[in-house]
Parts: sequence; C-alpha cells; structure tokens
Amino acid sequence: MRMGYQELIVELLLMPLVAFIVGMFMVLMMRKVAAKLQRRIGPPLLQPLYDIVKLHSKTTQISHGLIHDIGIVMAVGGYIAAETLLPVPGMNGIAEKGGLITLLYVMMIPSLGLALGVGQCANPNGSIGISRALTAMLAYDIPFVIVMFGVAWHFGTTNLVELISIQQAGGISTWGAVQMPLLALAGLFALQGMLGKQPFEIYVAPAEIATGPMVEMGGKYLGGLFVMQCFQLYTASVLYVTLFLGGGENWLFLLVKAFGVLLIPFTVAFLFPRFRTEDLVRLMWKWPVLLGLIGLAFISAR
Amino acid sequence: MNALDLLLSASLGTALIAFIFSRFLMGRMLLTMLYAVQLVILFQIAPASVVVSEMTFQIWDHTLRWQFDGISWFFALITIGSAFFVSWFASGEYGKRFETDTGSSRLLHVGLGLNVFSMLLLLASGDLLSLFLGWELVSWSGVLLMVLGGTDSRAAAVRYVTYAITAGMAVFFGIILLYTWTGSLAFEQIISASTSFSPAQLWLLTALLIGGFSIKMGLMPFHLWQAPAYALTAGPAMAFLGAISARMGLFAIILVLVKMISLQQLIELYIFADFFSARDLLAWIAAITIILPTYTALRQTDARLLLAWHGIGQGGYMMLGILMMDRMGSAGGLMHVFNYAIYQAALIMSVVAIIHRTGTADLNKLGGLVTRMPLTFVVMLIGIIGLAGLPPMSGFVSKWMIYRSVLNEGMPLIFLATVIGTLGTILSVYKLIHNSFLGQLRVEHHKVAEAPWSMMIPMLLLSAIVFVTGVMPGLVLEYVALVQQAMGISTVNFHLGGIDSSGSSISGDLDMIWVVIVLFSGFAIGALLFLSSGKSRRVNQLDNYAGGHFLTARNQYHYSDNFYAGLMHQIRPWYRGSFKWLEESVISITTSLGGLFKSFFHQPWTANWLLAGSTLIMIWLVL
Repeated sequence: MRMGYQELIVELLLMPLVAFIVGMFMVLMMRKVAAKLQRRIGPPLLQPLYDIVKLHSKTTQISHGLIHDIGIVMAVGGYIAAETLLPVPGMNGIAEKGGLITLLYVMMIPSLGLALGVGQCANPNGSIGISRALTAMLAYDIPFVIVMFGVAWHFGTTNLVELISIQQAGGISTWGAVQMPLLALAGLFALQGMLGKQPFEIYVAPAEIATGPMVEMGGKYLGGLFVMQCFQLYTASVLYVTLFLGGGENWLFLLVKAFGVLLIPFTVAFLFPRFRTEDLVRLMWKWPVLLGLIGLAFISAR
Repeated sequence: MNALDLLLSASLGTALIAFIFSRFLMGRMLLTMLYAVQLVILFQIAPASVVVSEMTFQIWDHTLRWQFDGISWFFALITIGSAFFVSWFASGEYGKRFETDTGSSRLLHVGLGLNVFSMLLLLASGDLLSLFLGWELVSWSGVLLMVLGGTDSRAAAVRYVTYAITAGMAVFFGIILLYTWTGSLAFEQIISASTSFSPAQLWLLTALLIGGFSIKMGLMPFHLWQAPAYALTAGPAMAFLGAISARMGLFAIILVLVKMISLQQLIELYIFADFFSARDLLAWIAAITIILPTYTALRQTDARLLLAWHGIGQGGYMMLGILMMDRMGSAGGLMHVFNYAIYQAALIMSVVAIIHRTGTADLNKLGGLVTRMPLTFVVMLIGIIGLAGLPPMSGFVSKWMIYRSVLNEGMPLIFLATVIGTLGTILSVYKLIHNSFLGQLRVEHHKVAEAPWSMMIPMLLLSAIVFVTGVMPGLVLEYVALVQQAMGISTVNFHLGGIDSSGSSISGDLDMIWVVIVLFSGFAIGALLFLSSGKSRRVNQLDNYAGGHFLTARNQYHYSDNFYAGLMHQIRPWYRGSFKWLEESVISITTSLGGLFKSFFHQPWTANWLLAGSTLIMIWLVL
C-alpha cells in the first residue's frame, strides 16, 4: 500500500475521531440496554456527550499531583494511538506496521497510565481497585491470548489488514466465528472481562471500595476516564469483529456487527451480580481457557 | 599485540589499578574512564571478523587459544558497557559513603574489574580447555561481588559456591567425555565428529554441558541460588551481576549448540517416538523458567529480591529465543540479552538510589517518593515498561520477536507461557513502582532528597538507551545480525524501526518508529484535551476521601501489603516450594552420605569392613 503522507495523516486523525463518536453511541446503547432490562426509559441520544462536556467544564478540578494528570493523559492518548492500529473500512492507518500483538500491548498502555494516576492519588480504595483490575487483566488475557494465537495461526498472519481481507474474500464460511466457533466463544468471555462489565466489575465495587480507581477522580479526570471508556468499547468490539466476523465490508456492516457483539456483554452485565476477584480468576482460567485449548487442538489437527 | 590482546590486558590492568586507587574518588573516576577505554578498544575490533589472540599457553602437548568472533563481541559489548555504567554509579557519592560505611571499596572495584576480565577471557575462549578455564574464573570471581552485603549475602554466596562447583564438575566431565570420544579439544573437530555420536552419548553431553552451564543461567530447577546471591550484596555489585553475569551461562550454551553439538541433533533426539524432542524439553524448561520465577517475584516484599527473581524469569525468554534457532527467535533472544542488561541495570540502580536515600528497599516501608525523587521515578518507570515488555521501550521489541518466532513454529502452549510471564511481570512491576513511588509519602521521608547526580546521570543514560533502542531497534539488531552470522543462522530482516517478517511462515511486520510517533501524538491530543478544560488545583495527599474520617500525617493510608490479595487467594496453594524441598533433600542426602563415609573412617575395624566389602563384591562378580 503506497499513499501520500497527507492522506495518511488525515486517516490517523479521522480514525480516533470516528472511534470516539461511535464509542459514545456504544455507551448510550449500554445505558439503554440497562434501562430496558430495568423497565426505565433511559437517557436521551446525546447524554454521553453532555456528560463529557459537563465533566470537562467543571470549575472544581482536584489534582493529586503530576502523575495523576499524566496518568489520565496516557489513558486517553494510549487509546487514541491504539485506534490507528485497528483497520476499519477505507482506512488502514498504520495497522500494517503494528499488527495484532502490537495492538494487544498498546492497549495495555492506557491501563498502565490509569494505574499510575490512581496510585498517585494515595487512596487505598483506588489502589485496591487497581490491584483487582490488574488481576482481572491477568485473568481475562490468558483466554484472550489463546484466542489470538489461534486466529493468527489459522489465518497465517498477525497483520489485521490481511486478516480482514482473507475473511472478506472467502465469504461468511471463512469467518473466524464459523471456522473456530470454540475460540469465538472463549473470545466472548474474554471480551466481557476486558470491558470490565458485570459480573467482572469487582474492581469498581462502589459499595465496598468506593468505586475503586475512580475514588479520587472528579471533573476532567473522570471525564478522561469516560472518554477512555468510549474508546475501550469501540476498540474491543471492532477487534472482535475483525478477528471473528470478517471485519467491516463497509461502515454500515461494521457498525451493525460491532453493536451486535456488544449487545451480548451488555445484556449479560445487567442480568448478573458480580464475582469476587478469586472467583473471576478461577472462572476465566477454567472455561474459556478450556474452550480455547480445545479450539486450538482443532486448528492443529487440520 | 593486536586489539584483542590490548583489550584483555587493558581489562586486567583495570583490575590492578582498582586494587591501588579504588579507595579514592579520583581513582574511582579513573576506573570509570578505563572502562570507557576498554569500550573504545572493543570498537577497534571489527565485530564481524574473527580476531585470534597472539597470547597462547601451553599445557602438556595442548595449546590454549583465545579468539573473538561476532558472538563474543556482542556479549563483550554488554559486559564492558554494564561495568562502565556500574563503575560510574559507584564512583561519586555512593562510593564515598560505601567506603566510610563498609571500607570495602577495594573489594567492590577489584571484584568488578576481575569479573570483567574473566568474562572477556571466557568470551574469547578458542577451545574446550580455555573455555573451562574462563568458566571457572567467571564462577569464582563472581563470589567477590556477592559477599559485599554482610552476613546474609555471605550465606547466599556460600550457597552459590555449592552450585558453581557442581556446574564446574559437570562441565569438566562433559569436556573430558568430548575429548575421549573425539580425541580433540578444538571446536572444529568436535562439531564434525559429533554427528556420529549415538543418542546415549548426545543425551549425556546435553545433560552435562547444557545442564552445567544452565546452573549459571539460573534455569529451573537450578535457580534457587541466584536471587539471594545477587540481591543481598552491595547495590552496584548487584547491578552488574544482575545485568550480565548470569548471561555467561547463555553464552556457553550458545557455544555448545553452535560449536559442539548442533541444535539439529537435539531436534532429532526424541524422548517419545517422533513427538517430543530434546529441544522441546529444553524449550519447556525455558518456558517454566519464565513463569515460576516471575510469580515468585510477584510475592517478594524486598525490591531487590523482586528484581533478582525477574532476572531469572527473563533468562527463560532468552533461552527460548535461542532454542528456536530461526532468524526471528534467535534474534529476539540475543536482543533480549542486550535490552535486559540495560533496563535491569537501570532498575537496580533506581532501587539502590532509594536505599541510598531512605535506607530501605522494603516495599511495605516506602511510598509516595515520586514527589521527592522525580527523576529516579522516571528511570524506574522507563525500566519497568521495558521489563514488562510494553511499547515503546526496547523490551517489547525483543519479546515481540520471540512471540512471533513461537507463533511461526506453531507452539501455542509455549506462546501462552511467554504471555503469562509478561502479564505476571506487569503485575509485579506495578507493585514495585506503586509501593515505592506512588501512594502516601511517609512522615519520615518528608525530607528525602533526589539521588545525587553522580548516580543520576548513569541511570538517566541507561534509560535513554532503553527508549532509543525501543524506538530504533535496528541499532541493536545490526549487531545481533552479526552474531547470527557467526552462529551460522540466516540473519533477521530488519530496518531501523523494526522487523520485516518476509520469509517466515506467518506474516506481520513491526515498525516501532511509526508506533511511537502515533503513540506520542495520541498522548499529545490527550494532553490538549486535558489542558484545554478547567484548570485543576493541587491538593495535599491527606486531602482525600476517607469515608467520613479525617486523615492526619500519622495515618498510614497506603495500600501495600499483600498487594494482590485476590490473586494470591487463588494461587497461593500453588506455591508449594517443591524446588526448595528438592534442594533440601539433595543437601540432606549429601550430608548423610558424608556422615556415612565419616563414620566409616572412625570405625576401629575399617580394614575388616573393607575386606568384607571387597569379598562380597568378588563373590558377586564370580557369580
């Protein structure tokens, strides 16, 4: 792929922007799903945007030190960078210079930034939250890595652009989800953990550790985390679509698939209570790992 | 006298000068400069060429030879480089206090000089005898650096000596076997003769040579000595030992695989019919060495022990990369040796700086130091990102190559093991930086100052290398490719910013320059968003949510002990200390055997026992 630098720069700017806008609608959908299940009406269309603007324009903004500030910048900035590694219809960004493994590790940078920022706040509730969140990461990343290995092994590439083009050239029968249903299922478990939704949201636990990482966050700090959540929903769902559902043939299909994928964790989230950390670890290391390993055995037998 | 002779004599000279001048500030600065001179001399040797030393040594009818090739050059660069930074770190204010407190500056600097010299001698070994000579020198000079931290460190050093003697005997036996079977001590004859070895011979050699060398490397199950021996000694000695010392074992293993028994033979040496080869066994040992020590590190409450345990785990990545022996994996393993040495030295130095200022490395007695030692925080942050293997630091690139190589070979479980190790490292290093630098500053640390510049500058330079070689891995891969050439492997396809995967079975490239540009642009946009909204107000650390209570300076409001309580609740039963049990049982068997022999000598009727014993053996032979 050869193209002008201007075009590339436009893509690099546009990809995070689109991700952010789509992400806001994903947050809206999450709230609407919750409202439907709880027989409420739910928030209006632009509520996520109002929330972000409100949080950023508060007059009282409390900082606990420079690392607190830098942590929020890293949390948002890391996802902005991650979006350029995730190809979408018409835009590949720098996806071919990074690939699946790089994306996985770039996605850990926002978590690291958040962890550093929360640490600087000097509140044990926050630190406990981070310790739980990192444990959860250790739990869900193990099935996710099995899934990732299986997909890369099956398609013979870690290049996300190639992954998409192979699945689109072959039609639905070559989609990851059809070829590797067990891995797709294990991937759903990992997705639920990655999004930090119930039953895997022990690290927030409002009644117990006062919302954990968010305990000292207010104003634009909480706003930054809100933005991060928009990016996170978008990244995780689009990545899942890329790995298992053939990516997006065009934007309409991509969005339908991505929102469809998210519907599963959202529905699960508002129907289940939360797990304790150790139960989460045990669950993640048992069922999805088992599914993933059986899935891998099928790939290797081929 | 050629450049190699000059290098070896300069190195020996440095140790001698250390003996005379190391008690004085000027003398220690001179020593640092002498390591720089050694680096300059090293760069006079072309890394791609084979330089034979003019120095030879006659033992009976055999001539000992020393020579440098690409492999030796690469390891020598890391060795002398680490010594240079460590010597600088220990020269100024640290050295002054170390001299007044312990009075063993001379031991530290002579030990450092002799370690570098013996390592260079080992790296330059040109045949089996000079290899053994260098190996023994490296083993024994290591002890000099291990005894600098009081009683505990001496106990750890004694434990190390036991392991080192075992390793030495195994290697010696292996060398004797090779000599008996091939009739030669030269590498060229051995590698050609080894093709006709039987599987039993190969197994014995693998066990003796690779087993012996892997004791130094700290591969499981020979890893127990390493963490205390490295961690409990004086700071600069720990930095040097941690950065490079154990890698001499890896160098020797590479020599075995390249110059004695080729890896191809190990691949064809099956344990179960056509299924699980000797190489798979070694790869699994490496994978287990990645996982278990990493999770032992996670449990440590002493920052030095935490880092030392990670050192053992990271050795597993290098070993795994080398064992892949393809262009991507071996390059990843070798590059990891370099990257690891740099960030481990920086990390250990940052911990030593904390000890220098606060007097403790206990992770439950620190906290909030970022406001007092911000530069040391930056060094540790860069170091932990490197150690955890996240972009944009150098550790990511070398691990990426190892992941890719395992992926190419289609080894899902090994791949999983490498990632489990990385995730454990992320958890553990976050605990390290959180418990020491983040959270609440303790009352007794309110007046702590930043580390002195004589310690800060080498730390910052090392961190700069970690970042620059992460963005432009091509700088290191250039030398790595030369090592691969010397090992006879096709070289990795690299460019300044990363790796081109063409030629491997699974495609997918890496270009760190782009990744880093985009990452920092992302941070810039995030910062713009952050700065454009309302101005924030700094508050005191006690101005915090405390569930209705008032916080005072006396409150310990820092969560540090048993940091990963939820995880530990789940995995604590897995820490059974099986390896400790194994070591103890070997010790008790040895002790009781020793006691048996001792009682034998104390017998008044020794001759009768001997007579009875030999008669029994005769009867058994006759029957």
